[in-house]
Amino acid sequence: MKEWVIETSALSKRYKGRYAVSNLNLKIGKGEIYGFLGPNGAGKTTTIRMLLGLIKPSSGAIQLFGQPLHKHKLSILRKVGSLVEYPSYYGHLSATDNLEAIRRIIDAPKERIGEVLRIVGLSKEAKRPVKGFSLGMKQRLGIAGALLGNPELLILDEPTNGLDPAGILEIRELIKSMPREFGITVLISSHLLSEVELMANKVGIIRQGELVFQDTLESLQQQARGSISLRVSEAERAMVLLDGIGVDSSLAGELLQLDSTDDAVVSKAVKELVMAGHAVYRAEERRKSLEELFLRIVGEGQG
Amino acid sequence: MGLLASERLKLVRSPIWLLVLVSPILALTAGFLSSLDDVAPEARYLILQSSVFTVHAILLLPILTGIFASFVCRFEHSGGGWKSMLSLPVSRTGLYAAKFITVALLLAVTQLLTLVSLIISVKFQGIEGGMDWGAAISATVSGWVACLPLAALQLWASIGWSSFAAPLAINVAFTLPNMLVVNSERFSPFYPWAQPSLAMLSSGGGSMDFGGFTLPLVNILGTVLVSFVVFLCGGLMHMRRKEI
Repeated sequence: MKEWVIETSALSKRYKGRYAVSNLNLKIGKGEIYGFLGPNGAGKTTTIRMLLGLIKPSSGAIQLFGQPLHKHKLSILRKVGSLVEYPSYYGHLSATDNLEAIRRIIDAPKERIGEVLRIVGLSKEAKRPVKGFSLGMKQRLGIAGALLGNPELLILDEPTNGLDPAGILEIRELIKSMPREFGITVLISSHLLSEVELMANKVGIIRQGELVFQDTLESLQQQARGSISLRVSEAERAMVLLDGIGVDSSLAGELLQLDSTDDAVVSKAVKELVMAGHAVYRAEERRKSLEELFLRIVGEGQG
Repeated sequence: MGLLASERLKLVRSPIWLLVLVSPILALTAGFLSSLDDVAPEARYLILQSSVFTVHAILLLPILTGIFASFVCRFEHSGGGWKSMLSLPVSRTGLYAAKFITVALLLAVTQLLTLVSLIISVKFQGIEGGMDWGAAISATVSGWVACLPLAALQLWASIGWSSFAAPLAINVAFTLPNMLVVNSERFSPFYPWAQPSLAMLSSGGGSMDFGGFTLPLVNILGTVLVSFVVFLCGGLMHMRRKEI
């Protein structure tokens, strides 16, 4: 039996008759980096607000660390660090004082402030008032705040929103190091698959409040596997020939598409075609990008 | 308590302290400028006390109460602060209590400084017999107590309204009619914006012998207590149910 850090069952949130989140069954295991994907307005933030106890679900249940959230909210939240939407900060205070304001509430040891500033690379800016920080620095300060209480679970809502590519890379490396170095489970939401695929090992895709995909990243990549296209002299006759030897193919314009990318199948098909006197001009692999697949998944049901 | 210490940290380097000084300085000015020459010596102290306290109690104290309530919520209103605050292991009741206590403490400091202004004024005017501590302390403390329902009401408005300015504007709009409201002994005790002035100025014997000021202090404090409980519970319930 796997140990779930986050488990929701039939979680729903209704606003004025419309479901913002419906029937959500999230399962996030210990040490995973879970990429929670979906277009804007699909219900990601609503879900995260429910996971943090900021809003009450209309129905369904949430278990964090195997305990029901509504019963053990404070003891659960003690083990959770979070950054929801955009980082909040007290502009007139320095980075250190901002963290101190949180530290006094969660009662973490004082040295921890220096540690988390080092982790996010803000040690040099510790004494500056936060209102002069760039967006990326504020975001990193937000993550520092989330790490302050030595959490076992980190919930980050669109942490790279509004960052430049260098900032995105920095945050990504930071997040990737969390499970490895600190054993932290991470839930990270985003509307961009490309951003999450480089760090997540599990992916959940939400569309119009419903979870439409939840599995490992490899499994998503499997679904996105490519096909082999052949350019041959007489495509139609070639297709009939391949059909005869049991290789499935289809015609796409002048190209012949093999459904399988298996090496043995491809070499057999090419060999047979050449033996039968077809000219094979080109054999190339066409990969459907994950992004295309993602867009197709989230695009379904909108037509 | 960690929450209170955290609230304090946020206020330490903020301009709120300048606001705390405004009213005591004005009260001091009033004390210096009042002319007591044609007042009988035995009445001088009470006249001076009411002239030091009047503007403070009728106008500035209720306005400051609203400002303080808005101010302690200001940090949370800007940039999703309520979300990050309540994602921490804190209870909503605890957070509400911390905010309320912070407002009450700021008001207590204001009252204390206004009392200091009175002491200096008494020295300056060379009042015979010096301070009447009983009257002074009773006025200061009951003024503070009478602010608490308004503080609870304003905190409720500040939490419910995701804005710094709106509750403040409402507060000022309801404070200005105070001058008229205090004339009514029937209506004024129930008007939260007038309660501080009634409690602070109804010391009897001073120049305030009309309207709501003639009511016994005990009656006013009774009304204050009831409205305090109502507003505090209202704000707290709102806070607990608020969707963040």
